[in-house]
Amino acid sequence: MKDTVGRKLRLLWLQSITCNGNTHSFLNHPELFSLLSHFDLVHHPVLESGYSMEELTDKKIPCDILILEGSFIEEGFTKNGVEVSSLVAHYAQRAEYIVSAGTCATFGGIFKQKDPEKISGFCFDGEERTERYEHYAQKLISLPGCPIHPRWLSYVLLMIASGKKVALDSLHRPVELYGYTVHSGCTRNEYFEWKIDAKQFGLKEGCLFYEQGCQGPYTRGSCNKILWNDITSKTRVGTPCFGCTEPEFPKVGLFSTRTNMGIPATMPLGIPRRAYLTLTGVVKSFKIKRFSERLLEYDK
Amino acid sequence: MKRKVIKKLIEKIEGEAELNYTFDKGKIEDVKINFGFYRGIEDILVGKSPKDALVITPRVCGICNHAHLIAAVRAIENGYGSAGLKIELTGKAKQIREFTLSCELMQNHIKWLYLTMLPHLEKYLKLDVTGNHAVKAAYFSTTITKAMAVFAGQWPHSSYAVPGGVTCDPTQLDLMQAHSLLEECIRFFEQVVAGIPLETYLEITSVSSLHTIGGDFGNLLHLLDKSGLAPRGGSHDRFIVFADSFLAASGKSIVTSVSPVDARYVEESEQQGSVAKAVTYKNRLYEAGPLARGMVSKEPIVKNLHKRYKDALITRIFARIHEIGRLLEANRNLLSRIRIDEASCVLEEDMKLYEFEGTGAVEAARGSLIHRTTVVDGRISSYEIITPTQWNLSHGNEQEKGVAVKAMVGSGTEEEADFIFRAFDVCSVCTAQ
Repeated sequence: MKDTVGRKLRLLWLQSITCNGNTHSFLNHPELFSLLSHFDLVHHPVLESGYSMEELTDKKIPCDILILEGSFIEEGFTKNGVEVSSLVAHYAQRAEYIVSAGTCATFGGIFKQKDPEKISGFCFDGEERTERYEHYAQKLISLPGCPIHPRWLSYVLLMIASGKKVALDSLHRPVELYGYTVHSGCTRNEYFEWKIDAKQFGLKEGCLFYEQGCQGPYTRGSCNKILWNDITSKTRVGTPCFGCTEPEFPKVGLFSTRTNMGIPATMPLGIPRRAYLTLTGVVKSFKIKRFSERLLEYDK
Repeated sequence: MKRKVIKKLIEKIEGEAELNYTFDKGKIEDVKINFGFYRGIEDILVGKSPKDALVITPRVCGICNHAHLIAAVRAIENGYGSAGLKIELTGKAKQIREFTLSCELMQNHIKWLYLTMLPHLEKYLKLDVTGNHAVKAAYFSTTITKAMAVFAGQWPHSSYAVPGGVTCDPTQLDLMQAHSLLEECIRFFEQVVAGIPLETYLEITSVSSLHTIGGDFGNLLHLLDKSGLAPRGGSHDRFIVFADSFLAASGKSIVTSVSPVDARYVEESEQQGSVAKAVTYKNRLYEAGPLARGMVSKEPIVKNLHKRYKDALITRIFARIHEIGRLLEANRNLLSRIRIDEASCVLEEDMKLYEFEGTGAVEAARGSLIHRTTVVDGRISSYEIITPTQWNLSHGNEQEKGVAVKAMVGSGTEEEADFIFRAFDVCSVCTAQ
């Protein structure tokens, strides 16, 4: 272990194949600068930082926490003439913690689909471990999400800064963030319980799980607990969850639910099909008047 | 002095770019611009469901993702229309889309002002850094994207615009929340950015009254003037706008005469040694972006600046920041017009068309963004994305140099050229999608 007593931890943000979405999502953190004051920001793609890109590619920067953004390719992507993979390897070796920020860095994400054989996440390729996994597993924290929520990252950074251990699941995701499903806390939960589907987009009423492709009930994430932009979430504004935190993101046909004999093909997380069918049979035998009406009645 | 080539890595734009400056007799004679990694979003879309583009294409770009969403949904709606299914959006859906798109533009412009222009100008002029610009960028952009999230669910990477309208069904409470966040941004603009009331700011039409602008914007104009940079960075003085918006109707402007455009004449071509494709309109290069919108719409103060400085740095920079003021005012009006009892989405859920071709254009922060989708057997068979920065940052063709390249040619130092380059609000991820 490096001696980090009495000094701030050095934070290095390194981009690979990315859209910069995680960078910009993180800039939306309302307490960004007080958060960053706990660290020594040695390099960042947008914010002023201690070292330049040239010093980065010269492999001259010290680093305690490496934040990786973007999917990974072994060969063919250079910055300043240096393979990004060799930069990542160099700093990953030296860092005490590696945070893969976003689904691309964690599992491969959208950009993996361009060349699935060669492009992957840093330590995972979808759900499979890459050959790098063993080497870095001990210091790896996965934060999938397309993009990450700024508060997911600040939670991890502040836990590290205060010397606390972040509890992780088998894919190295913090359990406090990914133990929930996106469905938990959705304002449409009543409609889910009573199996009332949304009749079309643009309505407050109805659950999006049955027709519109919502993956909230089987997607891990805190989107309806730690709200987006501190105010809302996709499902709260009537957009289905697309499963963007999951290893297989993005699937095909994102706005429609795949069904088997009229029942969603993928069950809510951990729910046996038989249990789901039994409950559905019961609730569907009742017609609840309130759910056939508009949620809010305005005076005409 | 001998001819020499200097290679420079430009960072802290959206991604990075490598510029190779060719100097001859102490002046820049040519510049080669190279971008990073080609990610192939267009190829990734092939074989997917048409609406998947609403989720995939925002991931082209972390800073202008919402513009991609709007271009993608317009391409599908245009395709439905040409296949016989005409869609008439409700006023509410149109107003909400316009509002969220405008919020993203402002987020973009303010980050460019505070994270790119001011810090680099101070660095270039070797001035002491005045305060923490990044705090200002983050405060405004966090607030304005929160206002858009009221409708869009999140920023970045919302997919709330769907064929026929929007997925949200806002209440008066939501409208009030968006309104109060917008008012907070107006207050910020008045007290910090321009130093004068928005209303007073928007009344400025003459170059001689520009000195009444205070705040950071006033400081920027002052520094540009004092340093002699203001008249530098001129280019072809030809402008193009493809999408109608509050800011400008579509059209092109050459020597201040404006004429219509048709996206069918836009042509993309591969560029040797670059992952970015070049784009031309009837074989000519045009500048896209806020300056183009200002010229095509004949915005009085932009036109008057242009009369004095042509398409120089000062005009280009002013036009971008000016849009923040105009959009704040426009968004106020949009919010007050939204009627929550209108339908959010006019299309039935199970509306499916299996063969169509559609084009969608939108005015993004950096200029016109065009999506073209071709659907066969219910799947995307080809998808084309033409981004604003492809207009501005191509190398050019045999007849003439690219827009940004021409603007840099003649500079005496690579530091000056670097600043001229950044004034285009460079986005490397969009250019090399």
